[in-house]
Amino acid sequence: MSSIIEIRNVTKEFKVLNRREGLKGSIKDLFSRDYKTVTAVNNISMSIEQGEIVGYLGPNGAGKSTTIKMMTGVLEPTSGEILVDGNVPYKNRSKNAQNIGVVFGQRSQLWWALPLIESFRLLKDVYQIGDKQYDSIIELYKSLVDIEPLLHKPVRQMSLGQRTLSDILAAFLHDPKIVFLDEPTIGLDVSMKAKIRTLINALNKEKNTTVILTTHDMGDVDALCRRIVIIDKGKMLYDNDIEHLKSFFGSYRTLKIRVDGDLKKQSEVIQKEVPDFAVSADDEWISVLVDEDKKKVVDVLSQLQSSYSIKDMKLEEISSEDVIRKIYEEGVE
Amino acid sequence: MKRKGLRFYLRIYFKILAQDIKSKMSYRADFIISTLGMIFTNIAGFVSFWILFRSFPSIKGWSYYEMLFLYGFSLISLTPVQCLFDNNWSLRIYVYSGDFIKYCFRPINLFFYYQSEVFDIKGLGQFAFGIGTLIYSWNKIGLACTPLMVLKIVVFLITASLIMIALQNAAAATCFWIQNSFYILDLVFRFKDYAKYPVTIFSPVFKFVFTFLMPIAFIAYYPSLVILRPDNVPVLTWLSPVIGCIFFYISYKIWMYGALKYNGTGS
Amino acid sequence: MKLKKYLTLTRAGIIESLQFRLSMLVMVAGNLLYLIVIYFLWKAIYASADSDVVNGMTFSDTLIYLVLATALFNFMEMYTVWQVGRDIQSGKIVLDLVKPMDYRRYIFWSFSGAFVTNFFCTFLPTFIVVAIVTNGAIHMGLNLLYFAVSVVLAIMVNFSIDFIVATICLYTESIWGINMMKQVIVLLLSGATVPLAFFPDTLRNVVDHLPFQAIYNAPLTLLLDGDPDMKDVCITLGTQLAWCVGMFIVSKLFWKHSIKQITVNGG
Repeated sequence: MSSIIEIRNVTKEFKVLNRREGLKGSIKDLFSRDYKTVTAVNNISMSIEQGEIVGYLGPNGAGKSTTIKMMTGVLEPTSGEILVDGNVPYKNRSKNAQNIGVVFGQRSQLWWALPLIESFRLLKDVYQIGDKQYDSIIELYKSLVDIEPLLHKPVRQMSLGQRTLSDILAAFLHDPKIVFLDEPTIGLDVSMKAKIRTLINALNKEKNTTVILTTHDMGDVDALCRRIVIIDKGKMLYDNDIEHLKSFFGSYRTLKIRVDGDLKKQSEVIQKEVPDFAVSADDEWISVLVDEDKKKVVDVLSQLQSSYSIKDMKLEEISSEDVIRKIYEEGVE
Repeated sequence: MKRKGLRFYLRIYFKILAQDIKSKMSYRADFIISTLGMIFTNIAGFVSFWILFRSFPSIKGWSYYEMLFLYGFSLISLTPVQCLFDNNWSLRIYVYSGDFIKYCFRPINLFFYYQSEVFDIKGLGQFAFGIGTLIYSWNKIGLACTPLMVLKIVVFLITASLIMIALQNAAAATCFWIQNSFYILDLVFRFKDYAKYPVTIFSPVFKFVFTFLMPIAFIAYYPSLVILRPDNVPVLTWLSPVIGCIFFYISYKIWMYGALKYNGTGS
Repeated sequence: MKLKKYLTLTRAGIIESLQFRLSMLVMVAGNLLYLIVIYFLWKAIYASADSDVVNGMTFSDTLIYLVLATALFNFMEMYTVWQVGRDIQSGKIVLDLVKPMDYRRYIFWSFSGAFVTNFFCTFLPTFIVVAIVTNGAIHMGLNLLYFAVSVVLAIMVNFSIDFIVATICLYTESIWGINMMKQVIVLLLSGATVPLAFFPDTLRNVVDHLPFQAIYNAPLTLLLDGDPDMKDVCITLGTQLAWCVGMFIVSKLFWKHSIKQITVNGG
């Protein structure tokens, strides 16, 4: 069976301007400029099957959106080969566009001034969706989410959550084989996040649509993805099941505490107290990365509480940045 | 997948247009103020024209009413660029903020998709002003009104519009290469004000510049010769419909090339 | 030190505008082209006139007047209305309002950097070119000093008017319409498009009692007068100063009042 997306040894390089600093530098820049080459994506290969939901993770500037732009046909790879449903996206952008849907978390692609239903009708024409297919997908949407109140509201008057929801629905409207979701839950509250995750899952099941998801939120990954691809500085670090990854981060949580005195100094003292875990400090918090396989967070907390007066504390699940950093530092095996 | 021909695009365009006008009408205050702004602009244009030529009976053999004819002609030929391609003004902002990428994912022509998003209804006011001026000066000069004359003027108005559109497209597209390209667009926008003067007032060098490099002479002067100086029409005038199409095509290509190139560098 | 924080904004503005190398080139080139158009246009106009002096202005007077008016426009127009209007619509204004600096001052000083670069990159070159082209028609004497003082006052009058118009944006979404009306009115009534000397008497009378003439007409009249009469200079500068103070107070009060209104009503 051939895969829906096939990426082979893809590299993308950019030329960027080196700007000098300060007033003097700006004047110098007027007369001479020097460029440097940046490798945004470095020799990446992967293949993705129809119906998969793939979490595409990495810190900001890792090369995620560059890869997505190449898959959507907006960018041409410097070298290597990409096939999306048998097409070379860059050479056939328009045809490729018929096969894909794209959502950018904070950039709505809908017509700003139009009510949602009118946007849908326009998309029906743009993608040449048949009446029957259109009606059935609208029915499906109605059964999945409460869209009635949204349909007649202009996009500009919607809240961010409603807009994201609308954008996702619009992306699935023409029954594309692949949907790219870039940070779909960014800036949303917990209940909206849950709603959107449920929706994506349902649409994926119903339509067997392949979903490529980039996110910084491990909650998204947990709720949606079976497979994870991690990229950092343009290089692929990891491509495997989520189960495998969970052994990396599942048992880790970050305990954040606030104590009296200089946090930097205090953190060094605390590091000695809990030598097994990494301790760091920023302006507000001292963070302890606790491995719960070794010791429960409550135990660490009570241990610290006995020697320090803790004014405030919070607990954070590990973020994708932390996972990536760990993978980067420790390797995948 | 069905072929996407002219009918497909026209259908989509008119659908967007209808929706757009509907939603604009719902912002009444904005609509009224913008229309007022447009009327003010045109009145001010007339007033300065009137003040200027009040003191002078003619310029290099062009009478007051002939100048007025050129003025009216240029107003009409600037209407399509105002109405249909106004989104070019926002291009630089979309590019700068990175939002431009959102136009790249649809299975339709990128240029079309981008420009179709905005229809500037205010331009119609300018159109009315232009028609009024043209008819008024037409009468004052005492020109005949035959079907052939009307046909000629329509053809050459379209030509002139194409050239202005081409200029604006090319100017707007510069933002794909340089930041803050507002000045270029603004420059072209201001230069179109000089389209209404006969190009004969310039020295040969600039006559060449305004004919071939920055072809504003095609916006009113060359086409008007067909009506105003029918005995002495240069070859260039007859060629101008072709030139208009060529310029438009080139500007379209530049725009598209820029759009794809930009995506290759933007983050 | 209080001035220091303002000068920091100036410096940042200079750095920012220097980043856009090409746009500056375009601005200079654009001004030169514009100069050329005006030169030929008015040469033709004067050639068609009966005498060398029209409405008390010679050809070189008119040329200097109009070209420098445009240069002044480029130098002074900071698109304040756009900027403030956009800040208001995007809600960014809230961030700026909580900065430990009066918003009006913050805007003015952020623009001051661009004033400096624009002065050197557009106004000065244009001035030199005009001086050379008109071959000594610009008298180099005390009038330059008066001109300089007058320009500073003009900048402040212009900024106050801009800010008054920008404040209106708190009440309506129609930035385009508002800005268009402002620009058209200011340019026409300040004598930037046609010298006020060409205006018919009644209109001239009205215009003389409006603040707009203090922006372009006042400094340019001072510059063109090679043999200034102390009394006239004092009257011109005095009127400018009065407008400057008057408009400043109006803009300040209007802004304060409007902001209060908005914050109370939760705009």
